[in-house]
Amino acid sequence: MEILLQNIDLIIFILLIVLGYSAGSWAEKKHYRSIKQREKELLKMAVITAEGSFPPGQVANATLVSGSVVVSIDYFKRLLAILRNVFGGRVKSYESLVDRARREAILRMKEQARELGAGMIINMRLETATIGKSANKKGRVGSIEAIAYGTAIVKNL
Amino acid sequence: MKFTPKQLDENVNVSKTHPLVELMWLVGGLILLVGGTFFLLGVTTDWAASKTPVKVENWLGNLALNEFPAEQSPELKSRLDALLAQVPQDSPLHQYDFNIYLSDSDDVNAIALPGGRIVVFKGLLDQVESENELAMVLAHELGHFAHRDHLRGLGRGLGIAVVTALLLGENNSASGLISKAVLTFQVQYSQSQESAADQFGVDLLTTRYGHAGGATTFFARLAENAGSKIPYVLASHPHPKNRIEALNKRIEHLGYPVAKTDKLHPDLVLED
Repeated sequence: MEILLQNIDLIIFILLIVLGYSAGSWAEKKHYRSIKQREKELLKMAVITAEGSFPPGQVANATLVSGSVVVSIDYFKRLLAILRNVFGGRVKSYESLVDRARREAILRMKEQARELGAGMIINMRLETATIGKSANKKGRVGSIEAIAYGTAIVKNL
Repeated sequence: MKFTPKQLDENVNVSKTHPLVELMWLVGGLILLVGGTFFLLGVTTDWAASKTPVKVENWLGNLALNEFPAEQSPELKSRLDALLAQVPQDSPLHQYDFNIYLSDSDDVNAIALPGGRIVVFKGLLDQVESENELAMVLAHELGHFAHRDHLRGLGRGLGIAVVTALLLGENNSASGLISKAVLTFQVQYSQSQESAADQFGVDLLTTRYGHAGGATTFFARLAENAGSKIPYVLASHPHPKNRIEALNKRIEHLGYPVAKTDKLHPDLVLED
């Protein structure tokens, strides 16, 4: 018992890592399932990065749509990233985070466009930002924000 | 141009490596890196410590002693001198100008500080029952000086701090992880130093009194209060029982006689 108390910070650290890993990967799996499901539903909605040009009279309405999302890192991902800082190389633990944020942002934008009755989004742009820039500093939690925006086009029938 | 919607199964943006596999590689690499650095550093400082003149050490000791408010003790000094008289003439111990202090603290401990300073705590003196036991404790501390242990410890600690700070920056979270890992190595090293000092101590005790009586009795008393061996995995000193075993092995191996101990002289018996 005494040895546990003497190394209390080490034990808390290990607990946080285990918690971070289990909760983090559970949340990630769940999120990916939902992303894939919704992407399938919204597959018909075309999203392009080109400006697009339409013959006169074809566009009934053009509206700015945007979707943004903030995803936080977990303790385990942070540990992997910290260790990566030592050796260099791809920070693989953050890749899925950025991927999830981008796809979720696009999905939210598409959902907004669907509500407007739009059939496609042109001129789509994606931007990312970090909230809490000091993600790797002690006691700080980093998170990534992704925002997708574009012009939703409602065509005349 | 025809628009054909299609959902992709593959995701090129996320690596396929399992996070736990990556963790294993990274932690393994870190252990290798730190272990290698630590080993090199240890060899270098051990070498440097053995070459450092006693003069430099005395200067370091002057810096360190300010931390310990304690009085010089002539009673302890006379016992230390008696032990020193038994040390071979060519030993580096004779280059030291030893000062021995008695501290008011209740800790059962004695420490060797750089520059030939020994601090004995009252708590330890309370536990000592014979002259031989006290001589064993003092001889153990002399062993630390003979092996230049405090310089080595200082060098290693300093080296690790400097190297991690240089490699990773002062406030990097990884430095915290590394110092945790290094501490475990350091403990093993420190325990081996203690054992070596014990061996030196029992040799000197036997030269002084002609027998090794009292070498283990003090640790035996400590062992009664020490409890389980598990916490000692991470302690700076080995478990008293292990120390007794090692000492008995040496006494047996070198054929030291064990005779009755002399009672502690009244000048050092503490009044409660």
